[in-house]
Amino acid sequence: MPRCNKSEGHAIDYASKLLSTAEAEAFERHLKRCSDCNKAVESFTTLLNLTDMAEKEVLLPEVALQDIEMNVYKRLAATQEVSVLSRLWSYLTNFAFLFQWQRIAAAGTAVIVLITTAVLVSELRQPKVELQLSDSQSADARIEQYLQQDIQRNLDDAMITRHLRNDAWETDSRLQRVKEQVEGTNWVKFANALTDTNITQAAAKGY
Amino acid sequence: MSVAESMDKLIDDEMLVSQFQAGRQNAFDELMKRYKSKIFSYLLRSVRNYEDAEDITIEVFFKAYRALENWQPKAKFSTWLYKIAANLAIDYHRAKARHPVYALEDMEIPEANLVATDQYSNPVKEVEEQELGRIIREAVDQLSPKQKSVFILNRYEGLQLKEVAETLGMAEGTVKIHLHRAMKRLQTLLQPLWENNEI
Repeated sequence: MPRCNKSEGHAIDYASKLLSTAEAEAFERHLKRCSDCNKAVESFTTLLNLTDMAEKEVLLPEVALQDIEMNVYKRLAATQEVSVLSRLWSYLTNFAFLFQWQRIAAAGTAVIVLITTAVLVSELRQPKVELQLSDSQSADARIEQYLQQDIQRNLDDAMITRHLRNDAWETDSRLQRVKEQVEGTNWVKFANALTDTNITQAAAKGY
Repeated sequence: MSVAESMDKLIDDEMLVSQFQAGRQNAFDELMKRYKSKIFSYLLRSVRNYEDAEDITIEVFFKAYRALENWQPKAKFSTWLYKIAANLAIDYHRAKARHPVYALEDMEIPEANLVATDQYSNPVKEVEEQELGRIIREAVDQLSPKQKSVFILNRYEGLQLKEVAETLGMAEGTVKIHLHRAMKRLQTLLQPLWENNEI
């Protein structure tokens, strides 16, 4: 058992290099005449060398580190999509609150507008998706890019569902998801025009 | 190192945050580049699982991105980032305590680490060192959550006691007490190793 009352606290601080220069010098003078403290310092120094050595072996996987930025932006893109939807829902509920008696009429009008747009738009032009990431690309651009990739993926899924599985219900569900995703983006016009029929046309054109 | 890279190093974190708040989104890329390794390694030491550490690292930067717009420089940016990481690590440990998952070995050793890297390597010595490393890491894992956090942040992440205090929301004196208790506990657990000449 150490007898010196400085042996533990000061020895830990000294071994961990937590003492100020003046405190360290004073403790070093004490060390010259205190074997208890010498033993304690030696013990804690050995301990710290061991723990340092053990933790040096903790290797970071390079691949995971490379993907961190991309995954952060993907996460942000996914949340942006949710927030766009919640904002749309908020607008709709506010609208409904203000015009309770017109709710059904408003919903009907919206449906008619959507159908009319879908009928009128005959030529579908799909915006090109920039897939290349560059260092100078802004965070907003990256979030937009991942959002577009997600939309593209859902469109692809809709086409696959329609043509390989011939599942009209699932296709409609996918198309509805694309329409929800594109709120607030420059894809709205394109998405609103999507129907089961022109999905076939789009597929034929190689979109 | 290019001139542009050298200039980037000269820009401090808080300046990058100001640039981000002013609309230069690429400043966040630079902040991520600076801190992703540190935050990842801190979390890896805390949760001892690569996949979970990666997921929490992504969550740290996700939260930082969303909160950075209104961030006020009351403390260093790095301290704030570690604080987010420390809170998420606490949440992780709480969740794990509520729903324990019994894995054979959380900290898997990549196979590449088991391959001799040169013809003069000593496989027996390497295995012994790996075993010793495992024993020491297990000892660190036996510390209380607060002792472990203080020890990791101060010893491995190089944070000053004041920064550790800000990160963990404790008084500086309390941090020192936790650090002393951590060291004494580790000494009790590991001293037999060198007293019995096992190392």
